[in-house]
Order: sequence, then structure tokens, then C-alpha cells
Amino acid sequence: MRGLQARGISVRFGRLQVLDDVTLPVRPGQAVMLVGPNGAGKTTLIKVLLGLVHPDFAVFEMNGKRAEIDNDWKRRMGYLPEAVAFSGNLSGVQLLRFFASARGVPRGRVDEVLRRVGLVEAGRRNIRGYSRGMRQRLGLGVAILAEPDLLVLDEPTSGLDQEGLSLLWSVIAEWREAGRMVLASTHDLALMERRMDEICVLREGRVLAHGTVEDLRHSARLPHRIWLEVGQAPDAKVELLCEAMRKWGKGRIERVGDRVLAEVPSDETLALVEIQSGFPGVVRGVRVEEPTLDAVYDKLLGAA
Amino acid sequence: MGPVGRALIWHELLERARDRWVLVISMLFALLASGVGLYGRSAEAEVAKLTGPSLVTLASLLVPLVALVLSHDAIVGERERNTLGLLLSLPVARSEVVAAKLIGRGLALAAAIGLGLGAAMLVSDPDGASTLLALMGPTLLLGLAFLSMGLFISTVTRRQATAASVVVVVWFGLVFFYDLGVLGLLVITDGGLSQSAVSALVVGNPAGLYRIEMMHAFAGSDALQDLGLTTGLPGTGTTWLLWCSWIVVPAALSGALLSRQKVV
Repeated sequence: MRGLQARGISVRFGRLQVLDDVTLPVRPGQAVMLVGPNGAGKTTLIKVLLGLVHPDFAVFEMNGKRAEIDNDWKRRMGYLPEAVAFSGNLSGVQLLRFFASARGVPRGRVDEVLRRVGLVEAGRRNIRGYSRGMRQRLGLGVAILAEPDLLVLDEPTSGLDQEGLSLLWSVIAEWREAGRMVLASTHDLALMERRMDEICVLREGRVLAHGTVEDLRHSARLPHRIWLEVGQAPDAKVELLCEAMRKWGKGRIERVGDRVLAEVPSDETLALVEIQSGFPGVVRGVRVEEPTLDAVYDKLLGAA
Repeated sequence: MGPVGRALIWHELLERARDRWVLVISMLFALLASGVGLYGRSAEAEVAKLTGPSLVTLASLLVPLVALVLSHDAIVGERERNTLGLLLSLPVARSEVVAAKLIGRGLALAAAIGLGLGAAMLVSDPDGASTLLALMGPTLLLGLAFLSMGLFISTVTRRQATAASVVVVVWFGLVFFYDLGVLGLLVITDGGLSQSAVSALVVGNPAGLYRIEMMHAFAGSDALQDLGLTTGLPGTGTTWLLWCSWIVVPAALSGALLSRQKVV
């Protein structure tokens, strides 16, 4: 497999099994989101990949070849830690220059990165005066400085305002378009959902589910919510429509003001649309709501 | 040392040079040392002889404090700011990070000592200046020993506040109370301790080793005999070995502990 694959990761701290036989593939051009409740093992998994936690067992592959977590591996990684708070004694420029020297990156790249993360003016100031969001942006700058193959982001949305979030989305998009990889752990499912290709749900150190958002929606088997706008249609006709749908018996039907709500399995939505077509002039509009990722996540965790 | 280690040395030096606490204590040391130098110049000849010993007393109090302030947050500070993982995710061995921190902060310490003793040299007479020059090397060794101790404390503690408390205890213990403890032991044992045991106890503390070495340099062995320290004092080779141990062992232990830590 091209890209990165970590297989069978097991980490035990004393009697606590923090990760248990976790497998995580990340393909080139792909962004993978790690989600799970607190203590699920997200940060530990990230730290294993960065060489910050020594696993009891793990097999790593990079582009189909067995690999060790050594300096060559680390050179391919860029890391944004959770809630990073750099020392206040230096300016943003000085900090980036240090990481540039450490990673053998030309100094010109520092100015480029400062522009990229929107800290050109603030870069000359002491980090002590930075807001939380500015520190997070600086951390993102450190992570992308050496243009790593894999960008590892631990809770990247924390502290970011709308402008900061836009910057984060553009960086993730840039990495995907360039055929590089992104791995991000988050609690902000709704925010991250559209920016990621795959989701890996962890619980108690095990992979509960892994796939695209659609895969997860399908496996959660949550109903779609279909809103039928009935507007000015006579009550009698609306009631007939509701009755027909109830007789169909595939979901819950409810009248809500001048709309009818039908909660049906995702593979029955077309059948429902066909039923309503048998009542011309009653329905003026149809809106289909897919289950939110938060709902899918809750269902998956609840079912585990 | 690789590129990360080299970059870290200069990063540490730059960061410490901008640390307010380090600057304040270094300036205080420079002011007091200048005061001693100035006093030695203006006073009578007998008093002038006391410039060296006075500076030794001053340095043995303040240099360990500067060193401990410089090093107590080296590892635990990074851990608390969530930057230790970022640092160790760079292509570098964990022990190299510890070594780079010791060297970088050691350079900052050397600058602080150079500033203090250099300021005193500027205001003292030529004799005083040569005395100060002789003080420079051993004072730096004293500082490095405490710097290394601070680094070790920083590695084994989990919170910066804890590390700060421990270094204050270490400073009071080794700089103020250690000699009192040795004296107390002598009283308790009613002089039953052998000369070599007393000497070993005195030089077993870097601050004690520094004082004895400087006392020997300024007042000769007679002064030591007057204190009852006639045997068991280390020769030049042993003295170097002791200094090297005080500097290398705590830092090496820090490197080993950090390397063996399963999780950072």
C-alpha cells in the first residue's frame, strides 16, 4: 500500500491497555480523522506514530516497505500538539527559525510560512503576547514548515476563530491536493467532517469503525429525516398522504405544522418519494436530511 | 551533535538570554561583584586581600542559584507547555536533546558569570583583576554542576512548580545547610569522624569543593589546616574527576531517564 500503514499497535501502561491491536492506514492525498471519547487512545496513537510513545507491539510500513520509527521516519512527519504554548521569551520568527535550522529548511521558508499562517506582523512580537488562536496558528506553521509527508494534528481546531479555521481547512486541502497525508484527532466532528476523507472511531483503545463518512452512516443504520412541505394543501389530502405512508410501514410519520416529517431508513427514501408522487398537488417541496456525523458517532459508541 | 542538537544549543542560549529571572539574578550578581571589586580597590591593602575570598563567598551563593534558575524548567517546562513532544518528534535522540540543553544553558550561564566577574574586573585594580580571572574557571565549574543538577530535577518532576520548589530546597540545602550539617555531625560524634571522612563530606558537595579549592588558591594550605582539614583533600586529578562527575552524572541520568520513558 502507498502511504503509511501502522498495524497491530498495542500499548499498555501498567495494567491499563491503552491501545489494543490498532491498525491505521493513511493513503497519499487522504485526510483521516481520529475520533473517540476522552481516554479512547487518540493522542497515544498519534504519539506512537511520532515516536513519543514506545509501543509494546507495532508494525509500521511506509509506501509498502517495513519501517522503523527512526530519524528518517520522523523527517516525514509534521506535528501540531494539542494546546501548544510556546515559551514566551521568543518571537514567532525566532521560534520558526529554530525549527527551520533543526529541520534543515532554508530561512526563506520561514517568511513564506509566516505569510501562510497570517502572522507576518505578529511574527516580530514576543509569543508571550499571542492569543491562544495565534499560538495555534504558529504551531500549525511549525508543523508545515518542512512540508512533511504526513501532517499530524492533535485537536487542531481548539482556540481557532473563523479566520483560523479557514486557514486550517486550506492547509488540509493543500496537503490532500499535493498527494500528502493528514491525520487529525478531534472532538469537533461537525467542523471537520467535510474536510476529511476517512474517519477512524476509537473506543477504549480499539478501532470501533473506520471508513468514509458514508460508510459510517451506512453502518450506523440511522434513519434519514425527510421533510415534505405541504403548505396550503387541504388537511384531508395531507391526512390521506400520511395514512398511505404509515400503511407503508417503513418509518415514523409525523405532521409538524405545514410540513410532514418522515424518518425512514436511508435505502427507503426513493420509495417514500414515489408514494408522495401518488398525491399530486399535496407536496410542494422535499428536503432530505442525512443523519449528522455526531448522531452517527453517538450511535456507534452506543452500540459498542 | 546533529543539526537538531546544534540548533537547540543556540535556541536555548537565545531563549535564556531573554529570560527575565535569569537577567535579574545575573545583574544582581554583576552589581554585587562590582561592589566587592570597587571596595577592594579603595580600601587599605589588608582589606584588598579579601577581594578574592569575598567574591568566592558571593559566587558560591549566587552562581548555584543562577544555574538552578536556568535549568529547573529545561524539561518539565517543555512538558507543561506541550512542546516536549514537538521537540522530541524532531529527528534527534532524546539524550542529545538533554546534552544540547546543558550546553546551551551552560553558555548562558558562562555569559552570566562572565558578566558578573567581568564587571568586577573593570572596576578593580590590576591585582584584583588577575584574582578575578583565576576565579572564572572554577566558578563556571560550580555553576555547571548545579546546572546539571537542575536539569536532572527538571527531568524527574512532572510540574514546573514542583521543580522550582525542589531546586530552592537543593540550593538552601547544599549552599547554606550542608556545612552546618557536617559541623553538627562532628558535634554529635564528638570528633569521632576521621579527617578523611570530614574531607570527603566537605568535597562531596560541589559548593564545598569550590570553597575549599578557592580557599587553597587564595590562602594556601595553611588556611585549610587552621580549619582542621589536613588530610583527605583531593589532588588536582581527583578534583577534576569530582567536577566532571558533578557535571556529567546528573545530565547523563537525565538523558537516560528521558530515553527510557515509555511516554512523553
